[in-house]
Amino acid sequence: MGNIRSVSKALERVAPQERVEVTSDPAVIRACGRVVVPGQGAMPDCMRQLAASGAREAVIEATREKPFLGICIGMQMLFEHGEEGDTDGLGLLPGGVPRFPAARMAGLKVPHMGWNEVRQARAHALWEGIPSGERFYFVHSYYPAPADAAVVAATCEYGVAFTCAIARDNIFAVQFHPEKSQTAGLRLLSNFVQWRP
Amino acid sequence: MRLKQGDMASATVFSEDPVATARHWAEQGARRLHVVDLNGAVAGRPKNEKVIRDMIRAVGDTMPIQLGGGIRDLDTIESYIDAGVTYIIIGTAAVKNPGFLSDASYAFPGHIIAGLDAKDGKVAVEGWSKMTGHDVVDLARKYEDYGIEALVYTDIGRDGMMTGVNIEATLKLAQAIKIPLIASGGLNSIKDVETVCRTLVPEGVIGAITGRALYEGKIDFKKAQAAADKAVGK
Repeated sequence: MGNIRSVSKALERVAPQERVEVTSDPAVIRACGRVVVPGQGAMPDCMRQLAASGAREAVIEATREKPFLGICIGMQMLFEHGEEGDTDGLGLLPGGVPRFPAARMAGLKVPHMGWNEVRQARAHALWEGIPSGERFYFVHSYYPAPADAAVVAATCEYGVAFTCAIARDNIFAVQFHPEKSQTAGLRLLSNFVQWRP
Repeated sequence: MRLKQGDMASATVFSEDPVATARHWAEQGARRLHVVDLNGAVAGRPKNEKVIRDMIRAVGDTMPIQLGGGIRDLDTIESYIDAGVTYIIIGTAAVKNPGFLSDASYAFPGHIIAGLDAKDGKVAVEGWSKMTGHDVVDLARKYEDYGIEALVYTDIGRDGMMTGVNIEATLKLAQAIKIPLIASGGLNSIKDVETVCRTLVPEGVIGAITGRALYEGKIDFKKAQAAADKAVGK
């Protein structure tokens, strides 16, 4: 799923005392204290790999019982359906993942690539020490559209206003890449490893 | 190290310690690092792998790095991506062997950026020593169809000469393609930064590369970033 190495290295950086393991082994996922699901590329591929690795059920269990962080496609997969490749997601959050609408993008390019302002929609432990409006690194052509406004933790604007972070119980997920977002990104990851939902 | 108009004879070494330099720009708040293996570009294969790997280790886990220069095979791309490079830039190899760019985009989706160096609308290759008959816009559109993630456009009449960005040519290219464009060459002052932000960003230019002007102190990084954020209204 790409970028996994960067995510694990960034986690090691903010939590040198913790053990960070890259795995698709369901037993390891069930045994660990917290779970990060990164993901880059295409949602259909990520969904296929999740099923093929046998980790799908363990990941779903993790979203119910331990601190869970989804990144990029790792966030998109939580929803019911992705427009990319007409893909079913895990269906843990109501809503879909549409593509940026060409008609409303004016001169803006897709993918949305680069640093953009993240407007926090509400207070959350993972925003600790990060001001609303801080910039994070994005690269994506599809964006989460939750049906339940209560889960929106932050929004961003690129042609359209879209949800770029969601929070529900022990789940937090972001469309941007904290592992490529310098100090703000490291702070968010550091907040995650200390988070006790 | 930087060149003027791609000429190795004009090479200026700005730092003997590229790793410290990479860290410096990260500390200044840089949002992406553009690295070129200049010896690699000339040789047609990576020549500074060790120091580049050290640079990746220093800053690659906190910001996107884009790397180019002499990358001609999929194994090299894979090893750099595994090491933590976010984007691989393919330049001359893409012009000479479009199949390679197509294969790379297929094998590493989301990680491949094509670099087009041009003068007067025509593409140049091999450190700009050779002009080709290819039209920039035609070739850019072809690359786009291969599934590249973004395009770096260098106006070689301007690079390293600090004579201002070729707004007209960059704008024309940005409007002709659907994917993000990164402008390179000629950025010489905060005023240039503001011009790029006002005229090019609304047309899909997502960034501008500058080297020499930073190293010679003509552009102060933090001031330039602040001016850019202000100019694009954020």
